[in-house]
Amino acid sequence: MMKTSIQEQDGKFAVTLSGELDTAAARETEQALQPLLDSEGKPVIIDCASLEYISSSGLRILLGILKHCKANGSGVVLKDVRDEIREVLNLTGFVSLFDFE
Amino acid sequence: MDSAKKRRIIRLGIVVLAALMVEVISIVQYERVKEAMEEEMGVRARVVLGAMEADVGHMMELTEATMKENLWKLRQDLDHPDSSFIALRYLVDDNPHVVGGFLTFVPDYFPSKGRLFEPYAKKTDGTISLSQFAGSDHDYTENEFFRRAMETRQSFWSEPYIDAADSLETLITYATPILDGKGEIAAICGLDMDVSWLGDTLNARQPFPSSFGLLLTQEGRLVAGPPETLVSGADVEAALEIMRQGVAEADGKGMSIRSVQMVREPYWRVVQVYRTQDVFARIWKMRRQQVLLVLLGLAILAFIIERFIRSESKLRKASEEQARISGELAVAQRIQREMLPTAFPPFVYGSLEPVREVGGDLYDFFIRDGKLFFCIGDVAGKGVPSAMLMSVVHSLFRMVSRTEESPSKILSMLNGELCRGNDSNMFVTFFVGCLDLYSGELDYATAGHDKPFILADDVSMMPAKANLPLGVFPDTRFEEQHCTLSPGMLLLLYTDGLTESKNVQRKQFGRERVVEVLNAFVKSENPTPAALVSALSHAAHQFAGQEPQSDDLTLLVVQFAPGDVLRERITLVNEIGEVDRLNAFVKALFGKLHLEGKTASGLRLALEETVVNVVNYAYAPGERGDVTILADCDRKQLRFTVIDSGKPFDPTTVLEADTTLDARDRPIGGLGILLTRKLMDSISYTRRDGKNVLSLTKEL
Repeated sequence: MMKTSIQEQDGKFAVTLSGELDTAAARETEQALQPLLDSEGKPVIIDCASLEYISSSGLRILLGILKHCKANGSGVVLKDVRDEIREVLNLTGFVSLFDFE
Repeated sequence: MDSAKKRRIIRLGIVVLAALMVEVISIVQYERVKEAMEEEMGVRARVVLGAMEADVGHMMELTEATMKENLWKLRQDLDHPDSSFIALRYLVDDNPHVVGGFLTFVPDYFPSKGRLFEPYAKKTDGTISLSQFAGSDHDYTENEFFRRAMETRQSFWSEPYIDAADSLETLITYATPILDGKGEIAAICGLDMDVSWLGDTLNARQPFPSSFGLLLTQEGRLVAGPPETLVSGADVEAALEIMRQGVAEADGKGMSIRSVQMVREPYWRVVQVYRTQDVFARIWKMRRQQVLLVLLGLAILAFIIERFIRSESKLRKASEEQARISGELAVAQRIQREMLPTAFPPFVYGSLEPVREVGGDLYDFFIRDGKLFFCIGDVAGKGVPSAMLMSVVHSLFRMVSRTEESPSKILSMLNGELCRGNDSNMFVTFFVGCLDLYSGELDYATAGHDKPFILADDVSMMPAKANLPLGVFPDTRFEEQHCTLSPGMLLLLYTDGLTESKNVQRKQFGRERVVEVLNAFVKSENPTPAALVSALSHAAHQFAGQEPQSDDLTLLVVQFAPGDVLRERITLVNEIGEVDRLNAFVKALFGKLHLEGKTASGLRLALEETVVNVVNYAYAPGERGDVTILADCDRKQLRFTVIDSGKPFDPTTVLEADTTLDARDRPIGGLGILLTRKLMDSISYTRRDGKNVLSLTKEL
C-alpha cells in the first residue's frame, strides 16, 4: 500500500512517501500530491525513507512537481533515499535534476 | 615461353647432341679402322708383289739359264744350218715357259740358204713344229731387237709385244748373240716367252672382289693385267694413268695403288690396285648401321625418359592437387564442426564422427521460450556432396525453427525448400522434436528417420510414424506426434552409422546390440546424456575393432530434467489494476528463487514497465486484451517472456530517452523502456502467430 502525506511549514511543503509507488498506485498518489501543483511553487522536501519502490509513473509524478517548482524559482529536495530508489534515479538521469539530503 | 616448352627443347637438344657425338665417335672409329685396313692392305700388297716379282724373276732366270746351257750346242751347229733346227727344238723343249725359239743368222751366213735364214721352233700344246720363218715378207734384220743385239753384242729382254700372227698372246723375247769361232756374231738366238698367263696368276687370288694386279714395263706399258671378264679396261687404263706419273704408291680416282719394281732386268713393275670404295664401303656400311642402331637406341631411351618425366610430373601434379584438396577438406571439416553445437547443457549431449573429413550427418538443438528444439538428420551418401547438402539443411532448420514451433511444419518447410531444384535426387532423413523443458510435453515428427529410443526404467522404441524423407516429394505430409516425458527420461536419436557399423566379419552392430547397451545403461548409477553417448560410441567402436568406420556415426541424447528449471506463468487483462496481480506473481517467484534487494526490485521494475506498456498501448482504447508473462529460470538466468495479441510493436527499436536533459526539457514518456533496457541484460522481440513476443533476460 502507498501512503502519502503533505505538511506545510516555514513556507515549504514537507512530503512523506511510504510504500511502493508502482503504476497501480500512481494515479492515487498523483491526486494526493495535487496541492503541491496548485500552490505558487513553494520549495518541496520529500522524505523517501519509507519509499520502497518506484516505477516510471512515480518518476513522472516527481518530474511534474519538479517542473512546477523550477518554473516558480524553487526546487525539490529528496531526503533519505534508499539504494533501490537511488539506483532507478541514477539509471534515468534524475539524480542530476533533484537535490538530495 | 613456358618452362615446360623450354624443358622439352633442352631435352631435344640433349638427344641431338648425343646423336652428333655418336656420329663423330663413329667417324673417328671408321677412320682408325680405315687406316689400319690401309696399312694391312699395304702389307698384303707388298707380300703379293714380292712373291710375284720373285716368280717373274725366277721364270726369266730360268729362261736365261736355258739359253746359257744350250749355247754351246748352238755354236757347235753353226756350220750346219739344218742341225740348228734340232738344237732349237731342244732349247724350246727344255723350258716350259718358252713357247718358241728362233735363230736369225746374219745375212748371207749360209750362202746355200740365201741371204736370210731363220730356223724357227714353235710350241703349240706341247708339240713343237719347226719352220724357216724368214722370207721376202719378213726381214728380221729390220727388227729392233736384231739390230740391238748386233750393236750391243749383249743378251737382253725385249719389250713385251703382241705377236701379230697370234694376237691373243703377249710375248717377250730373250735375245742372245751367238758368236762363231772368230768371235764374230753368227746369229741372234731368241726365246719367246708367253707372259699372258702372268696376268691370270697375278689376279687369281685377289683379297677384294674389285682389286687387281698389273705388270708394267719400266716405261709404264702394260705387260699383263686382269682378264676383261674381271676388270673393265677403263679401270685398268685409269690405274695405268696414275702409274704413268712415275710413283710407286698412289691414291686417287678412288684407287689405292701399291707397286714393287723388279730388282733385275727388265725392271718391270708389279702393281696391286685396290678400289678404295669397295674396300671401305663395307666398313662404311657397318658404321652407318651401327650409328643407326645407336640412334634408334637413343630415340627409344629418349622416349622412355620423356614418358618417365611426364608420368613423374603428372604424379607430382596429382600429389600437389591431393595436398590442396586435403587442405581444403580440413577447412571444410572445421567449418562443419563449428556449425554444430559444441557446448551442451546437462540435459543434452551429441556427437558426430564423420567417416571421411566431412559428412552428411547433422544434429542440432537450441532452447527457445522454455522449449528445447532438437533434430537429427542423415543426408544420403557420404563425403563432400552430402556435406554440402547437410550445411543447407542445417541452415534451413535454424532459420525455419526460429519462428516455427511445430515439428511437422518445420519438416514441411524444410521439405519444400529441399524439393526445389533437387535434380541430383538427394534426400535427407530427419527427426525434429520440441520438448517443453518444464512440462515434459514433447511434439515430434519424423521424415524417414530411425525411430528414437526412450530410456526410462526400461528401454523402448518411440512410437513414430516414419513418413517420407525430406527432398522426395514436395507435397509430403509429416504427421506430428505428441507424448509427455517423465522426469529423468532419456531420448536417444541416432543415425544408421550406429546400427550399421560393421566388424571384420562384416556383421552389423545391429539394433539388438544397441538395446543391450541401453539396458545396461539404464541400470547404471549416473545415466546422463553425455554418459550414454560415450557408452554407445565406445560399444560401436569396440565391436568394429580393426574394421574402419563405414558410415558417419551421429548420436544425440536428450533428457527431460525439470529439476533444473523453474517456469511460472500468469495471464493478465489490459487493466492497470492488474499490476497488483503482477506484483504478487513476481514476489512469489522471487521467493522461490531467493531473490531480493536491488536485483529483485530492478527485475520487478523492468517487468512492470513492460507489462504496463502493453496494458496502456497494445490494444485500442476500450478493446479487451490480455498479456501473458512466462518466467523461466535455470538458476543461471532468469527470463521473462511477455506475450500479447495487440498491435505489432517492437520496443527494441524505440530510440533511447536522453537522460542528460534539464528538468524543463525532459519528456514525461519513454522512461519505462529506458529502465527496462538498463535493468535487463538483453531484450529481444519477435512477432509470432499474430502475437508480440518480448523476451527479457537477466544473468543471475
